[in-house]
Amino acid sequence: MSDRQLADWRQHALTLESEVNKVVVGQSNPIRLITTSIFARGHVLLEGDVGVGKTTLLRAIARGVGGAYQRIEGTIDLMPNDLVYHTYLGEDGKPHVNPGPILEAGEDLSIFFFNEINRARPQVHSLLLRVMAERTLTAFNKEHHFPHMLVFADRNQVEKEETFDIPSAARDRFMMEIPIIVPKDEAIMESLVFDTRFHNVDELVSGVPENILKYKELNKFAATLQDSVSASPALRKYALELWQATKVPLDYGVKVSGVDMSRLVLSGASPRGMGMLLRAARVNAWLNDRDAVLPDDIHAVFHETIAHRVVFSPVYEMRRTEIAREMLDGIVNVIAAP
Amino acid sequence: MQFHDRIFSFLTQALLVLFLATCSQLSIAKNELPTIGEQYMDVDIVDPTRDAGYVVGDILQRKITLTVKQPYELITESLPIVGYEHRYRGKKSGIELVKINQSMDKNADSETYTLDLSYQVFKTDRVAKPAALRAEVIKLRHTKTKEVVQYRLPDFAFRISPLSLIGQIKLDEEMYPFIPPLTLDSQPVTFNIKVLSVILALALLGLLYIFGAYAWLPRMGAPFAKAYRDVKKLSDSPEDIKQAVTRVHQSLNQTAGGSLFNNNLDAFISQHEAFLPVKSEIEQFFGLSHEVFFEDASQSLNTESPKAWLLQFCRRMRDCERGLTPDPLQGNA
Repeated sequence: MSDRQLADWRQHALTLESEVNKVVVGQSNPIRLITTSIFARGHVLLEGDVGVGKTTLLRAIARGVGGAYQRIEGTIDLMPNDLVYHTYLGEDGKPHVNPGPILEAGEDLSIFFFNEINRARPQVHSLLLRVMAERTLTAFNKEHHFPHMLVFADRNQVEKEETFDIPSAARDRFMMEIPIIVPKDEAIMESLVFDTRFHNVDELVSGVPENILKYKELNKFAATLQDSVSASPALRKYALELWQATKVPLDYGVKVSGVDMSRLVLSGASPRGMGMLLRAARVNAWLNDRDAVLPDDIHAVFHETIAHRVVFSPVYEMRRTEIAREMLDGIVNVIAAP
Repeated sequence: MQFHDRIFSFLTQALLVLFLATCSQLSIAKNELPTIGEQYMDVDIVDPTRDAGYVVGDILQRKITLTVKQPYELITESLPIVGYEHRYRGKKSGIELVKINQSMDKNADSETYTLDLSYQVFKTDRVAKPAALRAEVIKLRHTKTKEVVQYRLPDFAFRISPLSLIGQIKLDEEMYPFIPPLTLDSQPVTFNIKVLSVILALALLGLLYIFGAYAWLPRMGAPFAKAYRDVKKLSDSPEDIKQAVTRVHQSLNQTAGGSLFNNNLDAFISQHEAFLPVKSEIEQFFGLSHEVFFEDASQSLNTESPKAWLLQFCRRMRDCERGLTPDPLQGNA
């Protein structure tokens, strides 16, 4: 692929970002990270409080990416079958079986949005785990493929009643866990409250042009993109040191206030996680018009790609967000490049 | 001759000798003049200040002030004579009066004579010996009755020392009050003290150098001062440029207290405002570092002379860390 095509795709990506930024204000960094995930072909888990705009953001992105968009709400009584098919009695009085949200669009499915994923049971998580990892599903004696599908899920960490924690294996399937927080800019906060444009979400989302990206070409382009952005030996060494530090932060002198570092980490980042980190870093380099990954590219995605993969001792899980932030900041601070 | 005749003759001779001796003593006693009454004489004598340690040739000064009251007068002829050498039992005493100055002040009822007597020692010996300025006898006459009386000036005893010590004598064990304390040869010790002082001074300077983080001046051991010296030693080869960039990164990280990258440069500048004037150069340095370490190695660097630029950069950073205004930078990275 020529540099011209890389530049064209970059222009499309930046257009997507800019259009979504018009709809969802004050979230430029999460939007950049979601764009990165789309081009790195990674699933995204959004985390944030209720009503901060997670769903609006994902809908706007889905509209810009193009392709089929399916959505399901996580509830405590949601079963895996509900994702695959649903049955009903037709006008003819006979039972009918229709494909569920995952199967309905078939191979055209580009975005599957799982709202409040932590309200679903672990059985549902298991099904989703396979779909996310393999992009296939066996149903009705047939294996269905979803080559263009990305899973966007969200959850809120505030509510703990009738929720199920996502197991680490499922969390590891997500390329990024992106925190969505309310913008602190007073002007943005005021417009979110008083600007009537933001009150009608459907109309707001419809402001994003459809099919900004050619979703069917994304896989091919993503592979080319990964090949066209290089990672030097110095950067590889740096990334490996970061990885090692996530496993034994104490060996690198990383400390977190109020935490016994010798007991904190049960398991560091996985090889898959580090692979995703480098995929995302390459995309970030490309988005910044570079053909080589820099440490800055890794930093841009480090926390979002690694924090949810590190397994902490149960005693520290309640403070996961705070501890992970401090630990990863410490790791970036102590490891030099070169 | 019979035995008793011999005894008789011996006793006769002995008695004769005894008689003659007695007569002689009586005659001497009869010739001695009466002593003047105390009320007619005032004497003040100033003797030499020390009474030992004199050797042959030394001169001893004695000052005698005589006040003779009326009706007596001094018979000046009775004063000691220069050149007279005192004898004792026929032997010369070795102490000779070599000079005498006299003066007389006449008062209404008295005469005051001042005598300055100088005696010289003309004797020596192998060991210290006693000697004396003899007791001078002066005569005085009653002006009316012409009676002659005498006054005996007291002697002054002292010790004469040999000119040199004979035999094996350990001076440090045979301390003598008039020999000054023996001094050891201090030259080797003085030399040793000087050498050791120089070594001590060098050692202290070395210690100061080590405690000062291998720097002679304040902040000479600061990160960029060290980096400047290290980079200066490197060549312009690609490997050395890598090493130089790594060295500057280390200094940046050391100054920042953690790893410094482009994305936390603003935070660094806000915490270290002294580096604000070189912010753009730090960004240029990151650009150079990216070229050297992270970008396509086959492409040549944009910087014409990276080492020269790095040296300038280090010097400017060093100025900043010393709180100085950095020199203007020439060229771009």
